Amino acid sequence: MALEGVLDIRSVEQARDALGLWLKQRKARALDVHKLSGLDTPGALFLCELRDKNVELTGVKPEHGVLLDLMGGLERKPLSKPKAISRWRDVVIRIGKGVDDMGHDTLDVITFIGRVVSTLAYVVMHPSRLRPASISRQIAETGINALPIVGLMAIMIAVVIGYQGVAQLRPYGGEDFTINLVAVSVLREMGVLITAIMVAGRSGAAFTAEIGVMKAREEIDALEVMGLDPMELLVMPRLIGLVITLPLLTLFADVMGLFGGAMISHSLLHVAPLQYLDRVREAVETRDLFVGLIKAPIFAFFISVVACMHGLRVRGSAESVGRETTRAVVKAIFLVIILDALFSVLFEKLGL
Amino acid sequence: MNAHHRPSSEPILSATGIVNRFGKQVVHDNISLDVQAGEVLGIAGGSGTGKSVLLRTLTGLHRPNSGKVVLNGKPVESIGPAEKASMIGVLFQQGALFSSLSVAQNVMLPMREHTQLPVAEQEKIAAVKLELTGLSADSALKFPSQLSGGMIKRAALARALALDPRILFLDEPTSDLDPLTASGIDALIRQLNQGLGVTVVIVTHDLTTLFNVCDRVAMLVDKKIIVDTVDKLMHSKHPWIHDLLHSPRAEGAMHARKSSHGIG
Repeated sequence: MALEGVLDIRSVEQARDALGLWLKQRKARALDVHKLSGLDTPGALFLCELRDKNVELTGVKPEHGVLLDLMGGLERKPLSKPKAISRWRDVVIRIGKGVDDMGHDTLDVITFIGRVVSTLAYVVMHPSRLRPASISRQIAETGINALPIVGLMAIMIAVVIGYQGVAQLRPYGGEDFTINLVAVSVLREMGVLITAIMVAGRSGAAFTAEIGVMKAREEIDALEVMGLDPMELLVMPRLIGLVITLPLLTLFADVMGLFGGAMISHSLLHVAPLQYLDRVREAVETRDLFVGLIKAPIFAFFISVVACMHGLRVRGSAESVGRETTRAVVKAIFLVIILDALFSVLFEKLGL
Repeated sequence: MNAHHRPSSEPILSATGIVNRFGKQVVHDNISLDVQAGEVLGIAGGSGTGKSVLLRTLTGLHRPNSGKVVLNGKPVESIGPAEKASMIGVLFQQGALFSSLSVAQNVMLPMREHTQLPVAEQEKIAAVKLELTGLSADSALKFPSQLSGGMIKRAALARALALDPRILFLDEPTSDLDPLTASGIDALIRQLNQGLGVTVVIVTHDLTTLFNVCDRVAMLVDKKIIVDTVDKLMHSKHPWIHDLLHSPRAEGAMHARKSSHGIG
């Protein structure tokens, strides 16, 4: 029996199939390979396996001999297999790990809040430690640059609520109350909620990524070696900046939301803008505005705490930055919505 | 020095008239370079002389402003993905192992995409490639983040070898490694070159690699290229090449070569 042509990664399976029967037939066998014009490692591996099964290779060319000797000299141990875990055990392990992680996470957030508050108190007592330049840059980045998107979202949300309101209230002849619905829900809930979610996605992700990249490149360690506190230098300006920015953005979103309400009233209810303003003034009270605005700095605090914490948690590699950023955004949005629900209950109990 | 060195035959890779510009800055000014089948060619040069750009040009990752690269008789940009994968393997400077795949999965990925081999065969071949590059069977299950610098280079080398390429491009294979590990990689390159007959192009500024592994060295100086054996380059009149090959570090590398090969 003889092989000819090129025995490589493409033809090796063909050769194996062709030789299958022949290998089963007889005991003493010789394979002539002097007509092989090409041989690569999978091919050589195949020939070595044949040699292990007592097939004699004849007419081996010198350049193929080098490769065969190299392959023959290897141990050729099979790859280690991962330990198989039964599916139900895997589920239990995952649940356990998840709960354990959640516990650690909660503890981490609480610890970090403690550190933030202590640094904040220190910075407030020593105002020279405040970094106005950093803070104003954060305000510009998280606030001014976010104005277009926040404004647009507020208008859109008002339009959505307006359409739903008209559709639902018309059968009862109460479509005029759509104005009340839009004004109250924008001021109390939607304005601040949409803004906070937008900011959590936009600025929260930016905080985690910025701090995370610094952490991955050992810049945080460099700060510490130089006796500078990353909490004071990196976390405080972002936190203070966002706490200032978010209420202002919320106010802007409220205004834009009411503007969106005016648009929808004009087109669906044929209410003129001045008339609309009168209706809004009747429908809402000052406290509706403040109920919305009061939540903003608290959301801002938690968004920046979560984002900075995850940034400082980055370990080593670039993929870790991506993972922590995702976690930070998910956790920040989750916290915003949980807090908003708690506020709703609280204000209800307080009769606000 | 090398049984596979056949300078008389057609070059396996040939670049002619390469010009690379970034804005107004000219990096390569009409460079030509031939790589012979079976040789180990070193590409050296100071920082910022465009070693990596040249490597990217030769592998077709970067299109030069002018000039052409011919790989095994075909212009590099006209070679299809599957054919290219079986022609060239690249070891990137940081390894570029896919972080979401284990070492074995990294090595098997090109085989999975470009061949019809059954998985059991792929695993067998991957195991052999890992053993060839000096990795143990247990490290196959590890993920790139669990590997040391030397192991990353070895695993990336195993992946570059997955489809038995004709040419292996190595970008700084010994950088960031301790001297012992670096010597191990040097020895491995020679062994692969001689055992598998693979042509190797190494971008490096590791003098030990240049002296001990490379058949010829291409020096990137003044936007041009000077190619010769190290021994002839030792007598070069060019000040940078002279200074480089007669620096204290070069003396040490030279010494290591004399003691390991008995030539001088």
